[in-house]
Amino acid sequence: MRRTFAIFAPLLLYVLAQPALGASNSADAAHLHVELVFPHSQLYPGGSNEAGLYFKLEPGWHVYWVNAGDSGEPPRISWTLPDGLTAGAIGFPAPSRLPLGPLMDFGYENEVLFPFSFQVADGVKQGPATLQAKVNWLVCREVCIPGKAELDENVELLRTAPMPVAVSGPDQALWDRLANRLPQALPAGDEAIFQQTSTGFRLAVATGRRESRAEFFPEDQNILSDPAPQPVTPTTTGLILDLTKDPNLQANPAQLKGVLELAGGRNYLIAATPGTIAPLPPAFSMLGLARIAGLAFLGGLLLNLMPCVFPVLFLKGLALCQCGVEERHKLRTHGFVYAGGILVSFWALVAALLGLRAAGATLGWGFQFQSPVFLSLMALLLFFLGLSLAGQFEIGLTLTSAGGSLAAKQGYAGSFFTGVLAVVVATPCTAPFMGAAIGYALAQPAAITFAVFTALALGLAAPYVALTLQPAWTRLLPKPGVWMDVLKQAVSVPIFATVIWLAWVVAQAYGAALLAVLLSGFLMLAVAGWFLGRWPAKRWATAVAVPILIAVAVVSVAAPKEFASSPAESSAQPEMSGAAAPASWQPWSADAVQHALAAGGPVFVDFTASWCLSCQVNERVALDKPDVMQAFGEKDVALFRADWTREDPAITQALTALGRSGVPVYALYTPGQSTPQLLPQVLTPGIVIDALSRLPQAATPTNAGPSNK
Amino acid sequence: MVSLPQISRIAGIAGITALAAAILPVKAEAQAVVNSPAPQFTAVDSHGKTHSLSDYRGKYVVLEWHNQGCPYTKKHYVTGNMQSLQKEWTAKGVVWFTVISSAPRQQGYVTDEEENFYLEEMHAVPTAVLMDAQGNLGHLYGAKTTPEMYVIDPQGKLIYEGAIDNQPTIDMNDIEGADNYVSDALTAAMAGKTVENPYTRPYGCSVKYAD
Repeated sequence: MRRTFAIFAPLLLYVLAQPALGASNSADAAHLHVELVFPHSQLYPGGSNEAGLYFKLEPGWHVYWVNAGDSGEPPRISWTLPDGLTAGAIGFPAPSRLPLGPLMDFGYENEVLFPFSFQVADGVKQGPATLQAKVNWLVCREVCIPGKAELDENVELLRTAPMPVAVSGPDQALWDRLANRLPQALPAGDEAIFQQTSTGFRLAVATGRRESRAEFFPEDQNILSDPAPQPVTPTTTGLILDLTKDPNLQANPAQLKGVLELAGGRNYLIAATPGTIAPLPPAFSMLGLARIAGLAFLGGLLLNLMPCVFPVLFLKGLALCQCGVEERHKLRTHGFVYAGGILVSFWALVAALLGLRAAGATLGWGFQFQSPVFLSLMALLLFFLGLSLAGQFEIGLTLTSAGGSLAAKQGYAGSFFTGVLAVVVATPCTAPFMGAAIGYALAQPAAITFAVFTALALGLAAPYVALTLQPAWTRLLPKPGVWMDVLKQAVSVPIFATVIWLAWVVAQAYGAALLAVLLSGFLMLAVAGWFLGRWPAKRWATAVAVPILIAVAVVSVAAPKEFASSPAESSAQPEMSGAAAPASWQPWSADAVQHALAAGGPVFVDFTASWCLSCQVNERVALDKPDVMQAFGEKDVALFRADWTREDPAITQALTALGRSGVPVYALYTPGQSTPQLLPQVLTPGIVIDALSRLPQAATPTNAGPSNK
Repeated sequence: MVSLPQISRIAGIAGITALAAAILPVKAEAQAVVNSPAPQFTAVDSHGKTHSLSDYRGKYVVLEWHNQGCPYTKKHYVTGNMQSLQKEWTAKGVVWFTVISSAPRQQGYVTDEEENFYLEEMHAVPTAVLMDAQGNLGHLYGAKTTPEMYVIDPQGKLIYEGAIDNQPTIDMNDIEGADNYVSDALTAAMAGKTVENPYTRPYGCSVKYAD
């Protein structure tokens, strides 16, 4: 018996939910009261002819917005109207989020008015008329009860506006209270853009003032995950919302439409268009900071192994040997001073970078290598150093002979400036861990940036400091002897190698003319060095050498303006693609990448620079190898090289959008995926081929991008 | 007195820990995503028998989320629409599971006997009714409404997720002439074609999970 009742009770409920009958403009139904609201009972052509559908709900019960969310249906109204009268669609006021366990619906509780209006044709028959409405709704709390009502409203139809102004009906108060909750259009000058992320979308809305609270209700279904929280990041001109997408979303929407609700009862209709949003500094957390600082430290350690830094470390190791007989604390002090040199130069560099960033320049890590003046000076300095190491002359000998205390000071100063040198040469060699740490750190407030870079500096200094701290290892150091001289001269070799590299960068980026100037500078340095070496510790020799050095420095500062030329062809273009290499590299531009993606093929972008040694190594070792090029060709990958050797704001912006601040960056774009896959900064052919093998097979011949087969 | 070997050891461990923490990925929740493998499950039916998705590899599997009190579900049962779908497709070798994820004391919750009685009364012929009062299967598949339909192909891939048809109303007259997405998906897949609408917004009452 109970079971039968259980079956039929819902049916009974269904019967009870049947339309309330009677010629009335309101009805009471299960858990709600529904009513037609007419502020003016006279309708005429050209008038506002406003009306509304009003629901008063029992506590806890709700009706739904146009997009009901995970479950539910919005109310519907259909009319039987006299000739000449048409009813517009009902408008939906700004909704609320209605959580339901793991689900989220959008709708209204307590009471809601859906405004709409009528169009009255000119030839309408004047006089009283009855408008008949059939209203359907779904009202829910834990359970849902569909309902319907048939409502009538008696109005007067007029051909022209009445004189005097239409009398207010009894519904005016209700209308005034509830009819103004429709979302407004976003004020002119404000804009909304959205950008895809790996988990969904980022919606940036500029309202002209900082917003700290917002909720976004999507108009279209199946685009967003309705229950997902929407973290708000205030910005100076508005806010950015992080929206999670529906996991089943197949294709990204062309527009993101919906209602944005802000603090203070402001509700706006948004139709966001796709665009780029500047990456946000991620929320600060001690754990996040500790993690990034740890990465930075490791990155610094690793930097010691890079060809940029290694020679400098050699130098310091050498100096260590020379003072192996000194007391332990002097050693430690040397270590700390070296670390101090590194720290100070990092801070100076970061301060400069942040200052320039604040001034609006779009710069990235390694920016100094984009200056030909810097490159020339660097090469000259290292050449001079190499000459000294090779034995042409001794640096500081003049001063050392002047007094013992100065020698000690010279020692510390030497350590300090060796530290500075290490930093200066290390910066463009973005080691694997550094990319993310730098990208993160540079976007943070200054204090955090400095903390992270301090960790980096300490990592860079750590090996040498460790050497100075451990007394036992000092004992391991060999006793001073002739071998030290041989080692010193041998170390000049990597120094000269670095000089060759720098000269190559200059030639690549700025032309052979500037290279000739640089080489002439080397010659003059050798001459100055000869003076210093031939007549050591003689005042007059120094007096001759120093002006030569100054002249060389001045010339190298002035020369680039005169002699630098843009590269006739960027290093990105290989001379010809042999038959074995079906794909070829195109110069990068954001439009070309979009075009290639739209054509349906995958895209690979190599962000590189001449002065970035790891970039060059990766290109020779991994990217330009025949089997890798073959793999690119098989998958019809469009290849782009973004050459950042000279300052290029478009490339800087693209790097920032990928969350990076330096090169190398290797981005593999798959059509249909919103964000590219970033390959590691140390490439092997295996890594590239593996990433390519996970691409979907090239579909049809028409999918070929700009590369020719 | 801490010596350098100890310091370096500690530093090494700290460094590696930092490195590991940085690399450790965040574990994602299981979700049913169309054109991906359907989440594996094991559940007990209204006769106490255990079923696993892996048992039915090689067959099409339909999951139908059900709540006998929900007006949308009633639309399909009172008209006999759901029963005829079950009959048609089980005859073609499809495994049809009705799933009840209503928590105790929520609408749609029934005991095994009540459900078996309901099946008899309504002449419903699913392969089995999976009793999911804990809501595990519902959460695994992200079931939002009743009815909500999932179709899994013989290789275990989810080929359809969403509404039963394209008429999201409670009006029983809307069954005739509606485009039934489940039949569409099964017909297309059995003919070796791709499913035209693999993901639609499901309609119905919300699944009554425990609070």
